[in-house]
Parts: sequence; C-alpha cells; structure tokens
Amino acid sequence: YAPSWGESALVLCVDVGFSMSNSGPGQEPPFEQAKKVIQKFVKRQVFAENKDELGLVLFGSDATKNNLAKDGQYQNIYVHRNLMIPDFGLLEEIQNDIHPGGQQGDWLDALVVCMDLLQNETLGKKYDRLNIAVLTDLDSPVSPDQLDIITGNLKRAGITLQFFLPFPMDTDEAGGGDVGGSGPPHGGKGLSREQQQGLDLVKQVMMSLDEEDGLDEVQTFSDAIEKLSVFKHVEKRPMAWPCTLTIGSCLTIKIVGYKAVCEERPRKSWSVVDAQTHQKEDVKRDVVYCVDDDEETEVPKDDTIQGFRYGSDIVPFSKVDQEQMKYKTDGKSFAVLGFAKQSLVVHHFMGNQILKVFAPKDDEHAGVALSALIRALDELKMVAVVRYVYARNGNPQVGAAFPCIKEKYECLMYVQLPFMEDLRQYTFPSLENNKKYTPSENQLSVVDSLIDSMMLVEENEDGEKKDLFKVNHIPNPQYQRLFQCLHHRALNPSAPLPPVEPWLITALQRPQAVAARSRAPLENMKKLFPLKEVVKKKELKTSKELFGKGDVYRTAVWKQVGLQNSCLEKGRSTEQLFRKGKVYRTVVWKQGGLQNNCLETGRSTEQLFGNREVYRTAVWKQGGLQNSCLETGRSTEQLFRKGKVYRTAVWKQGGLQNSCLETGRSTEQLFRKGKVYRTPVWKQGGLQNSCLETGRSTEQLFGNREVYRTAVWKQGGLQNSGLVTGRTGFQILNIIVTSLSHIINAILRD
Amino acid sequence: MRKKIWMERKGRSLECVRSVYTSKIISSDKDLVALVFYGTEQSKNPRNSFKHVYVYHDLDTPGAGRVQDVDGLRGEDGAKVAAKTMGSGKTNLGEALWCCSNLYSDIKLRLSHKRLMIFTCRDSPHEGDSERDRQARTKAGDLKETGVVIDLMHLMKPGGFDVSIFFCDVVSPPEDDAELGLQMEPCVKLEDLKKRVRAKEMKKRSIARLNLCLGEGMNVAVGVYITALQARKPNPIKLFKDNNEPVRTKTRLYHTQTGSLLLPSDTKRAQVYASKQIVMEKDEVDVIKKFSDPGLELIGFKPMERLKLHHHLRSPVFIYPEEEMVTGSACMFTALLKRCSERNVFALCKYTRIRNSPPRFLALVPQREELDEGQAQIAAPGFHGIFLPYADDIRTLDTPQLPTASDSQVDKMKEIVQKLRFKYRCDAFENPVLQKHFRNLEALALDLMAPEEIEDHTMPKIEMMDERLGSLAQEFKDLVYPADYNPEGKTANKRKPEKKPKVDISEDELRGHVQKNTLHKLTVPILKDACKQFGVKVTGTKKQELIDALTAQLAN
Repeated sequence: YAPSWGESALVLCVDVGFSMSNSGPGQEPPFEQAKKVIQKFVKRQVFAENKDELGLVLFGSDATKNNLAKDGQYQNIYVHRNLMIPDFGLLEEIQNDIHPGGQQGDWLDALVVCMDLLQNETLGKKYDRLNIAVLTDLDSPVSPDQLDIITGNLKRAGITLQFFLPFPMDTDEAGGGDVGGSGPPHGGKGLSREQQQGLDLVKQVMMSLDEEDGLDEVQTFSDAIEKLSVFKHVEKRPMAWPCTLTIGSCLTIKIVGYKAVCEERPRKSWSVVDAQTHQKEDVKRDVVYCVDDDEETEVPKDDTIQGFRYGSDIVPFSKVDQEQMKYKTDGKSFAVLGFAKQSLVVHHFMGNQILKVFAPKDDEHAGVALSALIRALDELKMVAVVRYVYARNGNPQVGAAFPCIKEKYECLMYVQLPFMEDLRQYTFPSLENNKKYTPSENQLSVVDSLIDSMMLVEENEDGEKKDLFKVNHIPNPQYQRLFQCLHHRALNPSAPLPPVEPWLITALQRPQAVAARSRAPLENMKKLFPLKEVVKKKELKTSKELFGKGDVYRTAVWKQVGLQNSCLEKGRSTEQLFRKGKVYRTVVWKQGGLQNNCLETGRSTEQLFGNREVYRTAVWKQGGLQNSCLETGRSTEQLFRKGKVYRTAVWKQGGLQNSCLETGRSTEQLFRKGKVYRTPVWKQGGLQNSCLETGRSTEQLFGNREVYRTAVWKQGGLQNSGLVTGRTGFQILNIIVTSLSHIINAILRD
Repeated sequence: MRKKIWMERKGRSLECVRSVYTSKIISSDKDLVALVFYGTEQSKNPRNSFKHVYVYHDLDTPGAGRVQDVDGLRGEDGAKVAAKTMGSGKTNLGEALWCCSNLYSDIKLRLSHKRLMIFTCRDSPHEGDSERDRQARTKAGDLKETGVVIDLMHLMKPGGFDVSIFFCDVVSPPEDDAELGLQMEPCVKLEDLKKRVRAKEMKKRSIARLNLCLGEGMNVAVGVYITALQARKPNPIKLFKDNNEPVRTKTRLYHTQTGSLLLPSDTKRAQVYASKQIVMEKDEVDVIKKFSDPGLELIGFKPMERLKLHHHLRSPVFIYPEEEMVTGSACMFTALLKRCSERNVFALCKYTRIRNSPPRFLALVPQREELDEGQAQIAAPGFHGIFLPYADDIRTLDTPQLPTASDSQVDKMKEIVQKLRFKYRCDAFENPVLQKHFRNLEALALDLMAPEEIEDHTMPKIEMMDERLGSLAQEFKDLVYPADYNPEGKTANKRKPEKKPKVDISEDELRGHVQKNTLHKLTVPILKDACKQFGVKVTGTKKQELIDALTAQLAN
C-alpha cells in the first residue's frame, strides 16, 4: 500500500457462495477467513477515521439486490452497503448479519456490479483512488466472454483491483500438489477446474491492468489477516518547513525541512464523562485559587499574578512584563554557526525529533548547492552546527546537521544539541578500575559466548545480513493495544477487556531462536557470576490488606524500633471514617518522645466537608525540644483529579543539633477502582553517628467511594548520638476496634 | 543542601561575594550562606563573644535583600557605609574561624557540605604575632576536623601573595595530590567565582532502580539516570495581587446539572470514533498501557553500525549498576560493558520504566570511563540508553529527485567548511531564553534599572565568518548558481489559492451527504450557507459544530 493522502473509494466484493464454507478437517472455511479480513480492514478504517468511503457487495448470496439485476442477469449479487464512510454499524453487520449463502455467484458479474456502484456513487466527486477488492475462492463457473470489455472499463475509469484468495497463486495446477507451506485448499484436493480457470482469468485481468506489478495485488487471506492485524495510523501528509540555510551573510541555500522521526501519539485523548450518564457535558472542571489563610479565602483568577522564586524571595513578574522582556527571535532560521567534527557531537542528542532537510522540489540549483554541502561534510566527517528557529518568537535551538547520503536521495539530518543548562555533569564511581568489580578472564569469555549466542544480526550463506529484531518494524504496542481494547469495548460494552493479542506479545519478546541459543551460555553465566539480592535492611515493604468488598478498611500498621541508649519513642496514628455522610475526620496523633523530657506532638488534620470531598490538607508542626531544637514538618497533598492520581506529600523535617538532618518523603498514589494500591515507601535520613530510621506511612482506601486518608507521621531525633524511634501500630477493621478508640472518640466528640 | 560561609576581608572581593550570591540564588537556592567580616572595629556575632568579628549575614538562604546589602557596601559610598558600621580594627583570624564554627553548629540541619572561603589580600594577617597565628591554625584544624573545607581566595597584592608564610597551614589540602590548589593563580580562582553560572544544579538521583534481566533468574540491578534534559524556566508561582502572597490552586470536578462535586469514582473516560462513544473506567485506561513489570529485558546484541543516527526520540538515559540492591551486579555489568565496548556491539533491551508504562526499546551503547590529565572524569562508565523509534514513529517522506553536485563544487564547499571549522563543546552554548529570563528576574528582584545584557552564542558571528570566507562564498555561488538565480527569494509556488466561486447546494445533495456521513467533504463556507438556507442555528463556527447542527436538523 503506497502512501496516498487523498481520499479514496473502495468496494469490498465478498464471495459468500456455498463453496466458501467447504474446508478440510481442522481448517478454517474460506468464508470465515474472508470475514476476518474484511472485519480487520473495516476496523482499521473506523479507528483511523480516515475519510475513505467503503461499499460492500456480496455474491453467491441467496438474495439479489443490485441496479443491474433484471431479466435473470446479475443474480445472487447483493449490494449490502453503498459507498459510505465505515462505522461501527458496518462492523456489527459484518459480525452479525453476514452469513454464508447457498448459491454460486459469478465473480466477474459481481465485479461489474462493483464497477457500476463505484462509478454511480463517485459521479462528480474527486477521489485519489478507486479500488475493488475481491475476496473469493474462485470456485464457481464464470462467463469470461465480457472480459475484455470489463478490463477496458476498469482501465478507463481508473479503477484498481485486488484479489484475496484462500490459496497462493502458484498452487500446483495439476491438483493434489502440495506446494508451499499453506497447503492445498479444500482438504488437500487441490484446485478444482473452476478454480484453475478462475486463477487464469485473475492473472489475465491483473496483468492487463498492470503488466509489471499487477500480480502483487493478488494475495492470500492469511497474508492479508497478518498485515491487517496491525493498526496503522493514518499517514499524515508531511508538513514542509521552507527556510534558507545561511553560511555567513552572503551564502544562502533554499531548503525545505520535514519531520522524519518523531514520537507518534494518538490523535484522540480521553475525555472525562459522568459515570452514570456518560455525558461529557455533565462534568465540569473548576479551578479556584485561595489564599493560604485559615479560611482558605478564594480569590478570583484575575486577581492573581505570576511570580518566580529568587532565592528566599518571590518576585512578582506579570505575564505582560514577561512577554515584553523575554528573549525574542525575529523569524525562522537555519543559520550555520560553524562546522565541527562528527565525533565531537554524537554524545547527547536532545529534543524529540529528527528533521530531514532537502532542497525544494523544483529548485535544482538549490539541490546542487545543498548536495555540495552534504558531500563535503560527508567526506570530511563533519557536521554543520546550526542555529534553528522554527518560527518567529520560537525558542532558538543549537543543533547539528549531519550529511545523509542514500541510494535514492541525499539530505541533511538535523538533530538538536544540548545547551549548557541541559547537561548534568554527574560523575560515577569507576568500575573497571575497581578491583572488587574486575571480571576474571573466565567471566569475560562467558560474556563473550552470551553475546555470540544473542547476536540479532546474522549473515546467511549469501553474505546477506538479516536482522532478527527490527524495532522500527514493530508497531507501537501501546496503540495496538489501545485500539484492540477500544474495538472490543465498542462492540461489547459490558464485557471485560480482552488479553493482549498473542502476536503482539511475541513481537516484543526475544526471538525464539535467540532464546534457545542463549540458554547454555546463560546457565554458564549463572555459575560464574554469583548474584545475590540484598535483603533490605529497612523493610520497605508495606503491608496492605483489603478486607471485603464494600467498606474496606485498611489500616496502617507500623512499627519501628530504633534503639541505642535505651531510648524509646512511640507514635500512634489513628484514623476513622464515618461513612454514610461521608464526613471524614481524621487523624489525631501524638507521639511521645522520651529521653531527657523531650516531647513532641504533631497533629495532622484533614477534613472533608459537605457532601463530597472538600479536601483540606494537613499542615502540621511539631515542637521539638531540648537545646532550642525545633522541628517542623509539613505535609502537603494534592489531589489531581483528572487522572485521579493522588500525589502526596513531600515532607521534610528539620533535623537536630549538630547538623543533623532528616528528610522523609512519602509518595503515594492511588489507582482507583481496581483498588490497586501503591503505598509509600519512605525513608528517613539518619542522624548523627550512623543512626538510621525508617518509617512507613500508610494510607487507606475506603470502599467504593474511596475516601482517602493519608497518614502523616513524624519522628523525633535526639541529641548527641541518641536516637531512637519505636512505633507501634494497630489496625482498625471497619468499626473502631482498637485499643485507642476511646481516645479518638473523645476527640471526635469535640 | 550545602552550606557555606564566607569570611570577608573588605575590598575588591565584594564583587565576588555578590556574584556568588546571585549564582547561588539560581543554581541552588536551598544552600545556606553567611557573610562574616574580620578585622573590624565593631563586633557583631551571636553571643558577642568575639571581638573584631562582624557577622554581616547569618547562615541562611540568600535572597534579593542580601545582594542589595552587598551592593550597599560597594563603591566609594559603600566604603563610607562600611567604615561607619564596622570600621577596621585588630585582625584575629582565630577568633573569626571560631565564630564561623559556632555559626555552623548553631544550624539545626544536617549539612552535606561545609565550605569556608577566606578572601584576603594580606599574606600575613597577624603581622608576625605568633600567638594569634597559632590560635588561628588550631581553630582551622578544628574546623577541618568537622568536615569544613577551607578555601583561600587571595587577591593580588603588590609583590605577590606568599601563601607559605601563613595560609598554607590554614586551608584544606587539595583534593587530589596531583594538583596543588595553592599554586593556582589567585586571579583564576577569583575569575571563576565572578563568572556567574545561571543554571540550576541538579542532584544526582536515579529516576528508576530496575532489574536488567539477561535471562530467567539473571537479574542485574541498575539505576537509570538522566544526564541531559532540556532545562526549562522554573515554574511560576501564582500570587494574590493585593499582597503578593502565594495562592494555592484547587481543582475540582462538579456535575453541571446538580452542581454537586464529583469524586474521581463518579467519572469515566470516553473517546469517540465514527460517532460512537466508547467508555472505559479510568482504571482500565491506565491498565491497558501495562505490558510487563518495570525492568529492562535483554533482547539481544547488534553491531554498532546497526544503530542509526536517526534513531532518536528523546534524550537518552544513562544506566549504572546498583550493587546495593543485588550484589554481583557491578561485576557482571562491568564485564558486559567491557566486552560490548571491545566488540563494538550494543545491547537491545525492552524498557518498562514504571508500572503501567508501555514498553520502549533501548539501544544500550557502552561507554567506558575516560579521565583527563587531572584524573577528573570526563566520561562516566555505563551504558547510554538510546530510545529506538517504532514503525509508527518513522514518517514516510516524498524525497525530491534533484541533481547532485560535481567534484569541483564539492571541493569548493570543502574549503568553506574547513575555513569555518571550530571545536565543538557541548557546554559551550547557553540557552539565551533561560539566561534572559534569569537576568530579567534578577533585575526585578534587585531593582536594577535594566537587566544585564546576555551574550547570545546561538547567533552566528556573521562578520567573523564573512572575513574568514573572503571570496570563497562568491566563488561557490558562481559554481552552483546561474547568474539570474536568486537563492534568497521566497520559495516560489506560494500562490494564493483563487477564490472559489460560491456553490449552492441543493437539499437533496445535502441529505445525501448526511446519510452517507460525508458532510465533512464540504467546505466550511458551503456548510455555513447551508445552515443559513435551512435555518439551522449554530452556536460555533468550527466545522464539526456546523456538521453536527446540520446532521441534527436533517436527520429528522
């Protein structure tokens, strides 16, 4: 399928005659295969939302419906659908309404009906392509006397033809031949006389339409199914970016740039709809701004301005001022700054696209000039370093234009290079110069054998290289899966989503041959390289338990014992949910911090007001004592609705005397409905004298309606190498059944 | 967080202090900085226990106020102010160092780095008083013991600054033995300080810690790092206009009909295809992106020449072993790195960063460690993970068929290329957009009349290029362009489309289009006319809105 960006009209001409239902034992009848082909094809057209029009004509059907049917001619040909943009209705009809017929249809007659349909329906409109695809087993008698007229008409109308057959074209004519892997049709009987005659006619027609490549348009059902399994994005017409390449002030070359590589994203995004009505209009997003006071007073958007942090200050900087003072560029640019060695440039590529730069199509002088530059760079192994600006007031880039010389064309390939600010000059500990990590000769040779066994590029006996795993031939699995699920959901609204298609899973895996070859070297590697998973000193695992279906209540249990100098701290976190009214009151907690009369208290409050969640976040503070230590901790939480992702709390804690610092972070995400639950792992820096504390924060998921509560907790750290924490936790199931419940109740009554 | 203290001998060094402040504010605004003068008449320190030591700024995060304070001490007027507030008196470096050590210990946070820089132009501060010299050495020793790095930023002095008289015992020894920090030219160090770096410093932190799975049961733990990422302007903060206090943003969903707030569970997700709405739970939308658990899965190896230049989708990641997660990882990683590099192959891996992220394929390109003469690392050991495009990501282009250049034309261009060659360094180009923004912000914060000018390295140095090329440009043009050709002219074929005559459409035709779902084939003006003709009220002007309105009207 050559890329064509205009609209086209296509008629699917499907044989439903009785022979299509014949098949050998264990074989899928040609009718079912043909149905799959058209299903896949229509599905692809529907999701691509291209504007190609599609008609569907059945032949061999019991019923007859077409414009030419009279006087017993053109019988058993049924125009199921005139030219229309395919929709889910058509998909459903194919799935439910198309059944094998009991007649035989003349496929040449059907072809004439299709031509008539195409010509009538496209009258006065412009199409880039008119096409008829015939799906048949050719196993019916035809009257070939009109053949020349038919091909003549096809040519005149510019209609192209495609044939899809249950057997390959080179199937042995004598019958009984078992040529090729696909096997003979009809239970090994070989082709019938009609089929042989039909095949000859097909060849004749196709050759007369296109002498050279005509036969390429005759394919088997299985080939077609395989090809059509891949959802294809509609090819976008590449956007030309005309510009001039400049070298200094007087040398200019006219150029046109095109995006050649760029992450393709689906054109449609998900919209939020009401769960009951499925109406997008029923849901409105509302953004409010509020001052950070106790009342959280809302202020109108117009009363806000932008500011930026400048050290400890925030500097107001209005959008208007920003616009006025910002760096401006005065138009598109592709200006050479200089030329540099290719080897100096290849380390970091930035940006998310590759641009191919050509001379304009009709400008041979520019072509020659650009060709001189491309070839000069290629021979010198150099690149042009250029300033690239897409359009007026676009951000400037510095990038490299590499020479690219292919058999059919030459061009410059532009890629963005980093700015100083983009680079993070990290250093990493040496590996090869570290005796601990130096591999032995034995180890190196087993790695070699692994590499040998897992080479994906092989040379066959003709010296031709074959790549077993070409990523650029794999369709993006994300979209294959998305469309598979969309299709499934569209036709089966209440069924759960299907599993990933097997072909896709296979396509993403190590090729079988490679997997088999690598087995032995991998076993050797296992022996020579001892790998041991480190048992985490701090248990970062979170326990989660989900009880029951409805009001699930999960409680945090946490415990921590960090000792040294017999210090002990206890902390408790309690939470309660009063359901029904969905009022939500949380968290009271207290922490005794002992040793040397230290006491720390912290409080985190969250409230849910009204019917549904006004969400108030906890701010809390903690007094830390002894020697004028103060600790503050804050927990911020934000609820990003849309994705319902829940992001919580980064919090930090002031540390103690003598440059102790503790930091803790808790991240949490709630993946809803599926009650998938991700819990925070957090860590806390340790204190002086290599003390380390770890803690866990827990969250709970309440029932269907998911009120969400987060635990915030805190830990005190103490003076002079004393540090300790201990914590006990408890669980509450459903109703308050905890050892502390009376305390909470008392507080709640307030 | 790094904390620094500057001890300041008044004078020319104020300029450096200012530039350190302004750089810090942008590069790492969480760092604490203090400014302490010694040898002053007046004393000001926490417990006022030290004489002739003036803590001008306590250890804290710097802001605009501090920069303005320093500005207030500069110049002739500034000197007067300084003389008035602090004066100048007896020098006792030991006391000053002791005071600084108290500043450090008064901070309740754990500091990851502590650095003390002494600016002075006197190589013998106590003029031979051995008692004060000894005291200063002892205090310096104490500070160094608690992890403070002491740096000397000596200014030029007539006759040369002799470090060996006194300061060699005070400052911290250079980090590696090869390079003696003291021998460094003072001006170089100062120039370095004055050179302001307006780029945010990023902490080294992995974005994921994963298993690199070579085969069943063979998991090497690795960390994934970002070593280059497009830096953007820091996010703005919304402020309330009346008091310039930050405001918080709250986003809520509510039901348009009932006005009640909606919980996330009260909504679903939908997409429309061929006018059919397909609905899924939010959770399903997330979970269909999942193919495998987070990790890197080795598919196989390929020779390096199979990695093409155009295999680029986003900036690469960097992979380094995590010995702490799986012991033995570093050794196996090293072996793999070594052999891949020596055999000039890359490893092809399937990469799933987090749960519910769809897989991408990475080419793991080996990079072995490289050090410069000073043993500093210029290339870190590890694999670059280059993102490979899928079939969908590669676009089909119509490539123009054009003549190619002759040898003489290519040779002429080679001369041009050679004339304009330079040594590319990846950190040579600053982003003018960011630099301009930071300077604007600085100007606003410090009440400057105008922001400092930026040097825009992304602009070609036209004059220099023209000069270097000389007649070459013209010679090349003579070789490739005919006399009447204008290479700068606007690209031709940009004719404005002729206005199409107005087409009226009959009701039948229109109904036909509605039936076949082909209304979109008509142009917007025609659709608009049709709306008028049939008295259809339209709310918007978008094509889809027009089509929807017409369909609704004519379908009945």
